[in-house]
Amino acid sequence: MTHVERLAAIRAAMSEQQLDMLVAVHDGSHFIETPNPVFVLSRFKSLGPAAVLLPRDGEPVLIATPAWDVERAQESGLRVIGADDVVDGTIAALDGASGAIGVAGLPFTRLEIGNRVKQALPQASAADEIVFDAAAAKTEDEIANAREATRIAELGYARMLEIARPGMSEDELAVELKCHARSLGAEDNFLLLCAGPRNPAVAPSNGRIMQAGDTLVAEITPSYRGQLAQICRTVTLGPAGDDLKRKYELLVRAMNAGIAAAMPGAPMSAVCRAVNAVLEAQGYGEYCHPPHIRRRGHGLGFGSIRPGDVSLDNDTVLQAGMVFMIHPNQHLPDTGYLLCGEPVLLTAQGAQPLTQRQSALAEIAI
Amino acid sequence: MHTMQPTLLVGPSDWDAARMPKDEFLARATALWRTARAASGAIVYGDRAHHAELAYLTNFTPKLEAALALIPRVGSPRLFVGGGANMIQAAKPLTFIESVQPLRDIGATVAQWAREQSGGGRPVLIAGAFMPPALHREIAEAAGAIADKTTDLATLMRRKSARELAAIREACAALDAAIAAMNEAQRARAGATAIVLAGERAAYRAGAQDVRTLFSLDGGRTLRPFETSVDGSADPLQVYVAVRRCGYWAEGFAVISASPNPYADGAAEVLEYAIEMIAPGRRCGDVRRSIIDAIQPFHPHAVTKQAQGNAIGLALEEPPLLTIYSAETFEIDGVYTLRVGISDEHNHAIVSAVLAVNAYGCEVLWSTPVSDGK
Repeated sequence: MTHVERLAAIRAAMSEQQLDMLVAVHDGSHFIETPNPVFVLSRFKSLGPAAVLLPRDGEPVLIATPAWDVERAQESGLRVIGADDVVDGTIAALDGASGAIGVAGLPFTRLEIGNRVKQALPQASAADEIVFDAAAAKTEDEIANAREATRIAELGYARMLEIARPGMSEDELAVELKCHARSLGAEDNFLLLCAGPRNPAVAPSNGRIMQAGDTLVAEITPSYRGQLAQICRTVTLGPAGDDLKRKYELLVRAMNAGIAAAMPGAPMSAVCRAVNAVLEAQGYGEYCHPPHIRRRGHGLGFGSIRPGDVSLDNDTVLQAGMVFMIHPNQHLPDTGYLLCGEPVLLTAQGAQPLTQRQSALAEIAI
Repeated sequence: MHTMQPTLLVGPSDWDAARMPKDEFLARATALWRTARAASGAIVYGDRAHHAELAYLTNFTPKLEAALALIPRVGSPRLFVGGGANMIQAAKPLTFIESVQPLRDIGATVAQWAREQSGGGRPVLIAGAFMPPALHREIAEAAGAIADKTTDLATLMRRKSARELAAIREACAALDAAIAAMNEAQRARAGATAIVLAGERAAYRAGAQDVRTLFSLDGGRTLRPFETSVDGSADPLQVYVAVRRCGYWAEGFAVISASPNPYADGAAEVLEYAIEMIAPGRRCGDVRRSIIDAIQPFHPHAVTKQAQGNAIGLALEEPPLLTIYSAETFEIDGVYTLRVGISDEHNHAIVSAVLAVNAYGCEVLWSTPVSDGK
């Protein structure tokens, strides 16, 4: 699929729902867990709040803030209006347009922007599904970017193995990995990283000094040209115990079961079920549900986060071209929280990991 | 200044009691109660992108998910952080608040907390405009109609304490390190983004909590964030660097060049002239008008067209904006960033300074280094 084909699919859905105009808004606060309809429609990652007007029969318009960022926005290929206020700019660009209007992005936009859009367009209907359904499968460019982001993630992991040492703080390590990812071309990196003798979860780094014997867990998630890819890895500072090694092998088996279950036409819940089955067979059934775990993977934005979570309640039917994480990241009573996961591309033959080297427990000699 | 918002904040953000003791936070809350006399407490929101008010009252920087503080007029504050119970351990070192809990079912918690507050008053809301709609709805349903006192708190935040000023000085030192590293990389003939990243890395090594950059690939005409590596050289390279240290921001513009740059020097002369004007009571709009007159025959750079600067502190952009229409005045103990940007058909330069206003005028905490090519 190309970006042009995606826009055509969105326009077809607008016709079906008898919408004349689609207004996508985003508040400029980019986050891995919140979708960005402006990015889906424009491929433009804004500095400030932004909007796209997509007429059913006409050329889209991008409203970019701040106004001085207009020339970078024009690299999207769209007609661009620079504005210092996204709502004022959007209303001016609509110029009293008549017909049915759909709005995407309101549930994810900060209140102040959302309320003003609602007041300005009181008759508009929600159009999030139209935008995000069309972005459930990635375009060829997004898949290429996901591959590059994965390459950077694996190099980041190699760097982590080189430099992580007892005596270093979690924050120091996180900052170093952030700088490293940027030096490889990643514009952002969602990096959850923490260490401890028994981690309750993976969390943002803090000032804790890492100790010999710690288990270090990291979700390394670079973004390349607006496309995220993630690897989930576990490392011990010093030799790993036999029990930890066995438990980690169990997670790898669970992950591979999930990868094998991810086939076009299957519901996403089947992937989660396959992962859980491996752990349940070893007596960890209670740890396969909240509060211990709520999902076994997720979509990868910044534009669309479809196909959503790898969870038992997600019946999204998988289709070729989807990119998502499969990670049986798991808290186990004996080991604490362990990370193990790969980004996959769904092909006609099944899920293809984007990584060159699959997750394995690593030991840093000290 | 708008910069690209990262998806996760990774730098050091732990609460340091020696730098910013608990008493300082408690005094800030007390000042808020003096402004909001009828308030029984405050409901304070913050997320990755907007958390200056939350940090002001709790020291907490939400690195990942949003957070909400319930600060009673009488009694101990509570902090609720997103991400579930497993995030509590990681969140605790970031605040002096002892009660840190997961942000879930917050409506019921807020309703009960509001009922428990003594004095018969109602809580006030801080930073409600930045909330996602669903959370705002939940809180409004739980606490009823509540007054938003964000503007009142912003007024209190304008005057920096000695400790806050010390933090901004440290941010300026890290900013200095960044610009020096960029100049060094330029002299070593590094590519455009390699220069920018050298600056970012130097700022982090100097203890920065966060670093944001913009740079130009067209001789300073437009600015852009780091999107991917650009190997080609760029001299002169117009850069913008914002550095956060101990919670507080400093920012600066510089023209990174291996040779002297007369346009940057010209802009710096105007900046020096404008700095001399700044004193308590001086209208922000007057300074802006004087700069526009002084830069002629150049016109204002697109980046400085709307505002010549703003107050700076826990947020990169705090009120007031230094716009031509601004009737607000510079205040004693306020810290401001002041920018001079010039453009004509072919040449462009932006320089800036971070200024602390005192009874006698202002102290320059940081200003763009002279472009001597060394």
